[in-house]
Amino acid sequence: MSDTLRQEPTIVTKSLAWAVICYLVLPITVVVSVSLTDRPYLSLPSEGVSLQYYEKLFTSSEWLSSIWQSFVIATVSTAICGVLGTLAAIGCWRIGSGLANVVRMAMLIPLMLPSMIYALGAYQVWAGFGWVNTYTGIIIAHAMTGMPYVVITVSTSLAGLDPKLEQAARNLGATMGQSLRHVIIPNIRPGVISGLVFAFIHSWDELVIALFIAGRNVFTLPRRMWDGINEHLDPTMAAVATVLIFLTVILLAAEFFLRGKKR
Amino acid sequence: MHANPNDQTLSVQGINKRYGTFQALNDVGIDVKRGEFLTLLGPSGSGKTTLLMSVAGFIQPDSGRIMLGAQDITFAAPEKRNFGMVFQGYALFPHLKVRENVAFPLKMRGIRGAAATKSVAEALELVGLADKGERYPRELSGGQQQRVALARAIVFQPHLLLLDEPLSALDTQLRGQLQTELKRLHRAVGLTFIYVTHDQGEALSMSDRIAVMKDGRIVQLGAPSALYNRPANRFVAEFLGVENFLPERLTGRQGLLAVRASALSLAGKAGRISARVSDLDYHGAEIRYTAQTECGLSLRFNLSLRDAAHVPQENENVTLDWQEKDALPFPAA
Ligand SMILES: Nc1ncnc2c1ncn2[C@@H]1O[C@H](COP(=O)(O)OP(=O)(O)OP(=O)(O)O)[C@@H](O)[C@H]1O
Ligand SMILES: [Mg+2]
Repeated sequence: MSDTLRQEPTIVTKSLAWAVICYLVLPITVVVSVSLTDRPYLSLPSEGVSLQYYEKLFTSSEWLSSIWQSFVIATVSTAICGVLGTLAAIGCWRIGSGLANVVRMAMLIPLMLPSMIYALGAYQVWAGFGWVNTYTGIIIAHAMTGMPYVVITVSTSLAGLDPKLEQAARNLGATMGQSLRHVIIPNIRPGVISGLVFAFIHSWDELVIALFIAGRNVFTLPRRMWDGINEHLDPTMAAVATVLIFLTVILLAAEFFLRGKKR
Repeated sequence: MHANPNDQTLSVQGINKRYGTFQALNDVGIDVKRGEFLTLLGPSGSGKTTLLMSVAGFIQPDSGRIMLGAQDITFAAPEKRNFGMVFQGYALFPHLKVRENVAFPLKMRGIRGAAATKSVAEALELVGLADKGERYPRELSGGQQQRVALARAIVFQPHLLLLDEPLSALDTQLRGQLQTELKRLHRAVGLTFIYVTHDQGEALSMSDRIAVMKDGRIVQLGAPSALYNRPANRFVAEFLGVENFLPERLTGRQGLLAVRASALSLAGKAGRISARVSDLDYHGAEIRYTAQTECGLSLRFNLSLRDAAHVPQENENVTLDWQEKDALPFPAA
């Protein structure tokens, strides 16, 4: 609000803030350093830095295939939960009553349950459909668990939207679909984009469900990293992690930028 | 008044609307005349918005019909009705410029290019905002936003225009100015207006006819002068600002007698009512009094300072009288 009311933070507040930032960022710096190691196992660089594991990452067909698989799975599942989550949030917004709150809460279940429980349940059900060890299985599972992010961000955007806008659009001759496309969506675009970014990141680094559902055929990036740690402490993993961090930062920056532009 | 070719007669026939056990509209019927300025007037919660929303198609009545000409539109989709509407709070699209807001209904009807540009320019001209087309709604004042909403609602030549308390968010001075403009616009476009307000002054000054609503019913429908001079019952009289209702024992006749504060005057010794002044307020050239009779009835009367021989003060005893031609008899209810 008003800048004149803001106080200069005290030294205690400042040091506390920095401590929190360090706490959050330190693991990342470790991973980045390890990825540059010149030794053949997971460790900090000793003699000097080396890019050999980045080279390995981008030439290994296994790692590249996992990156590609994760990308496809994240993209498709994000598209699915983006559309469904947005429509669900808009539906709840339009109903606006107690029922809508129940539905909205139900949408958040995947976020509230430990992912282990969810993965186990999904595994049982998917087995019946023959979806275990398929792209379909993991895409649908990720679309479901990614839904809460979309519902939350879109609902937040909708909370600030005047329900009369839709009535106005209809009154002026727009069908339900047209008012969605020309009035509602343009006004909640920042929320939709945030939701898509979060859902994408969610699928991109999701491990538990991938472990349960993916078999021999589907080897997502987090799963490849998991195996890497368990089997041979290959520093390539750290390189992958660094690339992932980099990508996430880019996505969040894009989200921040796109949202900032509208306000 | 030149009639709009689109302008067909709207007829609301015996509609009812319930919310649970609450009856929001109770057998409401009204024939709207072509090109008229019809006002729905009533206190908060009387069902004005519900009626307007039924006409616009956002609320479906439980029973009854809404006809446009020979066509039954009771359940027609809102976008198929071709009614313009100015919403309370305007509901302008925040992501579109003024020009695009006004062009929206044309775009939805597949009208683009030069024809659309021309219509938009004309509509903005009509509301005096020709130079504001490139602004966003948030960059306009309340009154300007109100005019954009108006331009957007008439640019597609609707069958009729529905307005839900369009001026209630504006300050008194601006409201007066926009009332005049709305009346001018009504004459200029020759469109039927259905106008919702709970401000009796606004209703009396703007309307061709007024429908007074109470508890989901229309309690009286008529021209402003008819309502003002011959209110059908105590509720309408009170709502249109009649202050005093004299009971039988003061007047010696059956039922209640409604007398405005302006028609009750000081009367020397010959007055028919005696009372004691309990409060007085100076309003420029006039003083507004409140006085109590012996039986505890509170009365209001006005005194013009110009022709007052004596100005009664608080706790002074006065006698009051009225002229029969200024008084309206009602059955006691
Ligand atoms: N969706 C709803 N559910 C339950 N009751 C409702 C609903 N909509 C309106 N009502 C009730 O119907 C009655 C009429 O409401 P309406 O909005 O038509 O009043 P109004 O005359 O427009 O009042 P105001 O001047 O305050 O706008 C009110 O008592 C309101 O509480
Ligand atoms: Mg209302």
